[in-house]
Amino acid sequence: MNPASPAQSATVSSAPAGVPAVRLVGVTKAFGSGRSAVHALRGVDMVVPGGQLLMLVGPSGCGKTTLISIISGVLNADGGVAEVFGVDWSTLNGGRKTVRRGELIGFVFQQFNLIHTLTALENVSVPLLVRGVDRHEANDRAAQALKDVGLGERMNVPPSSLSGGMQQRVAIARALVGQPRLLVCDEPTANLDGQTGQMVMELIHTAARSNDPTGQPRVVIVVTHDSRIFHYADRIEEMEDGRLKSRPSQVILDEAKHIPHYDKPSPDSGEES
Amino acid sequence: MERIAIKMLVGDRAKYLSLVFGLAFAVLLIAQQGSIFLGLMLRSTGFLQNIAQPDLWISDPHIRYIADVRPLNDHDLYRVRSIPGIAWAVPFFAARTMVDLPDGTYKSVQLIGIDRSTLIGQPPDMTEGRLEDLRLVDAVLVEESARPKLGHVKVGDILKLNDKRAKIVGFCRAKLGFESNAIIYTTYDNAVRFTPTGRKRMTFILAKAKPGEDPQLIAAAVNRLPDLGAFTLEEIRWRTVQFILIETGIGINFGITVLLGFIVGLVVSAATFYQFTLENLRHFAVLKAIGARTSMLVKMILLQALVVGLIGYGIGVGLAGAFSLIGRKPGAELAVFFPWQLMVVSLVAMILTVSVGSLLSLRRVITLEPAVVFK
Ligand SMILES: Nc1ncnc2c1ncn2[C@@H]1O[C@H](COP(=O)(O)OP(=O)(O)O)[C@@H](O)[C@H]1O
Ligand SMILES: [Mg+2]
Repeated sequence: MNPASPAQSATVSSAPAGVPAVRLVGVTKAFGSGRSAVHALRGVDMVVPGGQLLMLVGPSGCGKTTLISIISGVLNADGGVAEVFGVDWSTLNGGRKTVRRGELIGFVFQQFNLIHTLTALENVSVPLLVRGVDRHEANDRAAQALKDVGLGERMNVPPSSLSGGMQQRVAIARALVGQPRLLVCDEPTANLDGQTGQMVMELIHTAARSNDPTGQPRVVIVVTHDSRIFHYADRIEEMEDGRLKSRPSQVILDEAKHIPHYDKPSPDSGEES
Repeated sequence: MERIAIKMLVGDRAKYLSLVFGLAFAVLLIAQQGSIFLGLMLRSTGFLQNIAQPDLWISDPHIRYIADVRPLNDHDLYRVRSIPGIAWAVPFFAARTMVDLPDGTYKSVQLIGIDRSTLIGQPPDMTEGRLEDLRLVDAVLVEESARPKLGHVKVGDILKLNDKRAKIVGFCRAKLGFESNAIIYTTYDNAVRFTPTGRKRMTFILAKAKPGEDPQLIAAAVNRLPDLGAFTLEEIRWRTVQFILIETGIGINFGITVLLGFIVGLVVSAATFYQFTLENLRHFAVLKAIGARTSMLVKMILLQALVVGLIGYGIGVGLAGAFSLIGRKPGAELAVFFPWQLMVVSLVAMILTVSVGSLLSLRRVITLEPAVVFK
């Protein structure tokens, strides 16, 4: 457990004043219909207050990705309410949703999803360009974001010439350059080796400890089944078969410690930077 | 985002080049086949290509094709000349005839007979000798491409046309037609003498309106005369092309080939561009997830389509133009006609194509669930 953020202290912490960052009530989602329908979410209730690094864990296929897709507004729920910072996604039309995503949410993906024909710097500047920030300002801010993830020296190369860990750092810079209030990460370490994964988690953890533009602590949701990074969480929610299992975070964490590959984080963990 | 769109397009050299060359190839196919088709159609108009002086071409009103004429007689010529407003009206003769070669073989040629005094209907260019010498006794001019076909004849040589003696006084250059892969010019009177014909022997009467007179009114006056019809160059040309297109089957069959080339070209280009967008679909999904509105993605794709379409068009039409230059070389047997209209048509075709390709792509991008970014 990261010393700065013991899971037990933050578990189901009382929501701060004002609206929670994320509020889910009875969220359901099925893919397909009839007998072949896959019920990916079977009624999920969850409240995430500001300033938490929440981990969603659970076996493959339990609905984690589906859940953060709905939270981040890239997928519509079939039923229930999915609110982010007080706004129910289902009340917005496609265009408004897209704009709101761009303003509020940063994305980090398992397979990085960088555009390989652009340089690292250009990739990071995209979220700003999308919002209409002018090119020079976008470049300056993107350069700063890359420096923040330790890639100040490798800005003008295509992602394909970077290692996996570096690519994920570029992706993190891209996710953070627009100062999102909510950062969602789907299996950010799954394609990385243990040490590199720790380093990437350090960056995500730092993001969770910094404030968003409104002065509120940023909310970070990380989907993972990599128990080696569980200790970064303020809170861990476990999913099974489309539902949340309400077990205390500390129990999940203690269990993870008995999994053989559990690594203790070392302060200088990570790859070349 | 324009820069981003362009970099997405050209960033992957191999993909970009295959896209551009796919489109260029399609344009080449369209423009090159089109120009050959137009060239053939133009060639079908035979001697019409070489004669610009008359306002009106007068013949039987039912003429359908320049090589399929019911000849006129001298009386028709006098009737036309008596129409007020006519500046001049001269006889014109065109028919196939045989040239006996010294080695005992023979060659079929098109014999063109023009008015002796005015020389109206003359070949566009002289390459050897003087045009005026055509007025000498038994004089003929040989079109350059017939020179080898007639056994490399020279000025002063004697040809035998239907056992009648003809003396070569010069060489000229004229556009060939289907009926005229070898052309010999002579005067109208000689032509009539060289060929066994009856009382009716005039192929056309070429006429010009006096300055200030409306050729259309004169044409109407000609049309009121029994068994005579007057046509502008455009009208007679179009009748001929229509005949070739519809009556001979050449036009239809080759036209279908050209059309197929056209369609194949278009489908290939549209599919190529569509494929390109499909390969980028994931990137578009990421852009959509991180806040790019559909209108922005649409703009990006249209920009990519426009850029790649114009570049492909430029290369394709350049190659097709090079082909047509080869065809335009004097004496080349290739019938190629590459007018600016064909450029415009192929440009419009290309723009339509990439638009269709990008519309297909857009449909995918617009309906794209950004959730696929997590897949
Ligand atoms: N687009 C989809 N179409 C059909 N089934 C899907 C789709 N997305 C997810 N599923 C199914 O929903 C279930 C939950 O998937 P997912 O949320 O991706 O799980 P996890 O991320 O926990 O591995 C799985 O059974 C998966 O096969
Ligand atoms: Mg998943």
